[in-house]
Amino acid sequence: MTGWHPGVAAGGLLAVCAALCACSPGGGGAGDGFRPVDPERAVLWDRQINESAALFRELAAEFNAGRAGVPVEVQHAGSYADIFRKVSASIQAGVLPAMAVSYESMTTDYAAAGAAVPLDPLLNAPETGISPEELADYYPAMLESNRYAEHGGGYYSFPLCKSLLVLFYNTDLVARAGFAGPPATWDAFLEQCRAVRRLTGKPAHAVNVDCSTVDGLIFSMGGEVCRNGETLYDSPEALAVFELYETLVREELAYVITAGSFDDNAALVKGEVAFTLRQSSARNDLVTILGDRRNLLGIAPIPQKDPARPATVVYGPNVTLFPVGEGQTAAAWAFVKWFTRPDISARWSAGTGYLPVRRSALEEPTLKRLWEEWPPGKVPYDCLAFAKSEPNVAGWQEVRDIVGRALLDVLTGTKTAADAIKQMKPQADAALRRAAGNR
Amino acid sequence: MRRAALHIGLTAAALVTAWPFLWMVSTAFKGPLEAASPSLGLWPGAWHWGNVAETFRAAPFGRYLFNSFVVSGAVCLLVTFTSLCAGYAFARLRFPGRNWLFAATLCCMMVPFEAVFIPNFVLVSKFGWYDTHAALIVPWCANAFSLFLMRQAFLSLPGEYYDAARVDGCGHFRFLFLVGLPLVRPSVVTVALFAFLGSYNALLWPLLVTADDSMRVAQVGLTFFVTDAGIRVNLLMCASAIVILPTVVLYFVAQRQFVESALGAGIKA
Amino acid sequence: MTAPGRRGRRMPSDGPVAVVLLAPALILLSVFVVYPMFSSVHMSLYGGRRAAGAFVGLGNYAGLARDPEFWRALAVTGYYVAGTVPLMLGLSLLIALALRRAGRARGFFRTVFFLPYVTSVVAAAMVWRALFNPQSGPVSLLVRSLAGASPNWLLEPRGVLHLVTGGWAPPDAGPSLALCCVMLFDIWHGCGFMVVVFLAGLCAIPPELEDAARLDGAGPVRGFFAVTLPMLSPTVFFLFTVGCVRAFQAFNSFYALTQSDGNGGLDTRNMVLFIYTQFYSYGYWGRAAAAATLLTLVIMGFTLLQWRYLGRKVFYQ
Repeated sequence: MTGWHPGVAAGGLLAVCAALCACSPGGGGAGDGFRPVDPERAVLWDRQINESAALFRELAAEFNAGRAGVPVEVQHAGSYADIFRKVSASIQAGVLPAMAVSYESMTTDYAAAGAAVPLDPLLNAPETGISPEELADYYPAMLESNRYAEHGGGYYSFPLCKSLLVLFYNTDLVARAGFAGPPATWDAFLEQCRAVRRLTGKPAHAVNVDCSTVDGLIFSMGGEVCRNGETLYDSPEALAVFELYETLVREELAYVITAGSFDDNAALVKGEVAFTLRQSSARNDLVTILGDRRNLLGIAPIPQKDPARPATVVYGPNVTLFPVGEGQTAAAWAFVKWFTRPDISARWSAGTGYLPVRRSALEEPTLKRLWEEWPPGKVPYDCLAFAKSEPNVAGWQEVRDIVGRALLDVLTGTKTAADAIKQMKPQADAALRRAAGNR
Repeated sequence: MRRAALHIGLTAAALVTAWPFLWMVSTAFKGPLEAASPSLGLWPGAWHWGNVAETFRAAPFGRYLFNSFVVSGAVCLLVTFTSLCAGYAFARLRFPGRNWLFAATLCCMMVPFEAVFIPNFVLVSKFGWYDTHAALIVPWCANAFSLFLMRQAFLSLPGEYYDAARVDGCGHFRFLFLVGLPLVRPSVVTVALFAFLGSYNALLWPLLVTADDSMRVAQVGLTFFVTDAGIRVNLLMCASAIVILPTVVLYFVAQRQFVESALGAGIKA
Repeated sequence: MTAPGRRGRRMPSDGPVAVVLLAPALILLSVFVVYPMFSSVHMSLYGGRRAAGAFVGLGNYAGLARDPEFWRALAVTGYYVAGTVPLMLGLSLLIALALRRAGRARGFFRTVFFLPYVTSVVAAAMVWRALFNPQSGPVSLLVRSLAGASPNWLLEPRGVLHLVTGGWAPPDAGPSLALCCVMLFDIWHGCGFMVVVFLAGLCAIPPELEDAARLDGAGPVRGFFAVTLPMLSPTVFFLFTVGCVRAFQAFNSFYALTQSDGNGGLDTRNMVLFIYTQFYSYGYWGRAAAAATLLTLVIMGFTLLQWRYLGRKVFYQ
């Protein structure tokens, strides 16, 4: 039989596939706009879980009840990394939610693909926008990080809620080591760690490898992290931070925890370590675990090189809006504006441990009651005034990984601080250059 | 004497293999404080049976398991069907270009799934299957490896079966489903089992194509639960045990089938 | 009847039947494996984020060749394949041989050994991470009570050779301790599958052949190499090929055990994790597609070599 030739048929199929690929555009987003994930609702992809998620949904329901138009729906879509992946792939597919929580490095990526709604027109709109006076109420550091120099300096994301780097300490251990309070300077920090180690015979600080922590420490040393498209990781301040870690490891005052775990907070709660450096939103978890032994937990601003000029790092998500239709964008923007109102902000903050993005939120009775009930809870709010943001340039995600690896090298004793920095800085700069060249 | 040594060796190896699971089950029922303190002991001081209920409360594992079963069951049936047909075709049918086609299919086996993710995601989104069971099932319905296994199985059947069937005037379809299928049952069971396992244990693809809690499968739910449970290691271990349990049960059930068919008549070469 | 007459004539083609039987599998494979593969190669020729930039031809490939991280990932993959596949094969064969003679307890033991394979990597990895926790894991406790100090296990970036030889070998020669932990996990997890396949293969060997060998005076070892191994060779070849391909594609265990999207040590980043990071964390789709294409070529080349040189040695009946 000469008719059927399955081999030829298959070959033909392959050729068709190859031709299809050649015809399709290289990659890129859908040229003619994006479709919404759900046409009836403005979906927000978010990472909250448990009680925070429940509170978020409650607030969304309240928002929807008060207005006509497209209702907002909060969907749990994984971690920030998961959400970034989903949005990246969705851009490719041409289907997006109305908004998603994102870090600055993610938003700059979305903007480069034409998938982020520029927010300046929405801000400046007469009725639905935010007036300059009101805008001044927002913390400048948080607003600034949402303006992207690479995209003309406009706003492409908006701050939703934040957390910042604080020092959690075990009050019992610190007291038994003979100190009246937490350390205010890095020298005092080392001294207290040594004393705790003499007391317990075990390391005093559990380290969670995170570039943001490193950046926060560099800020607290009085330094900067990035300027003019180049990292400043070879500055004296950065070296001081790495040398601090090197000392901690050499004197067995600190150990590194398993990646992705919360072992440091677990150890703090059990009284095995005295100090952890974590974001303030961890407060809720810790308080829940401790229950009525809440007094064991102390919160303090991170130690500073110069207590008169304090600094720490603020992180936490912003929200990016996607161009999936006028009704959806309008609803999303209205929600963002409503969510950052002082009273709503305060409710969210009280319920989750995140920090508000506006100064006037600190006047709200909800928060004042919280502080009366548990005074240490006020500390992160006091730090808001001097918290600085991390850079929002493209390629920063890769830099974060490079810095994390360098820190891990120092913490495991594989490299000295000087060597780690010598290798880290050129790699970080190369990553930034690669990202800049790839736009 | 040698028999005893053999048994001791096997027992030691079995203990090492099983120990992580024993530890997992024992930690799953420990109280929060006991789970957080390190110890080598396997027997919990107090059995907290309520951990199971608490795990189900902490995350909707019931829904997750349901989704996993639906998806994996469908994949299992469809993979078995497609590999059976194609494996038989490659093994016993003669047509021009057969070897080239088979080589091309083998090449498919070498393509890492992680390399074809994004195009697959784009495809699935364009079909409108995002966040549906279809996205979780369809891309997995043909598997080059299972095809290979079925072809091997049909190749290892002695030629007498085929010749006898042809003499009897039995066509290919009848042979395949009436004669061949029972003969290669152990391979079919293997393919089905591995297809189910592969689908049930997959993580990355479900993570990408599902967003809603109601569509989530067990593995993805478990990954999220890592952050969720935080320092509550006992709940984490409990959730792990819950996710593992169905496959263990399935294995026990399928195992008898497997053993019976493998030792049954007709396989001796 | 028909048999003698057939010899002189060309066999009729089974074309139409083949098309019907092959259609489902081939269509699905074309759409979800072949097309994406071409699409991926196509994507690798473009730069920019999400491969939306300019056509760069082989620019991405050149960039990878210049990138030490890429070569490191390749080395890690190589160590991993070389470290897991032979060990898994050898260990499983030993266990299967032992099981064959285990008599009534065979079923029980086989169940135990197969158990890890049945469990999901995510769940098993969580247990292992807890077990190997440097501070509070039972394994660390055990090692600490025996040897005084316990290494950092999954976090230890220094080479195993460096640690074992007390610092004589350089720290980045050979696999790191963390990588060895991942390999151990995968051996533990994957052995069961091979044990079961080997056992099935062993049971299919007619006992008459081995009895004959024994009657001829061959000892157990000689008998194994002369009779058992050749009869098993299709199975061994199959498992070796498949095992290698799977090992090149390993991802779940690496991801679940190190649980670090990008800032984990380079010593545990294999090729697929590298591709994943380039794709998802950094958005360099063209670059990732290029790396994926290279990986596919490596796998294909390696498997072809196996087919060529080892395939000849397989004894089919």
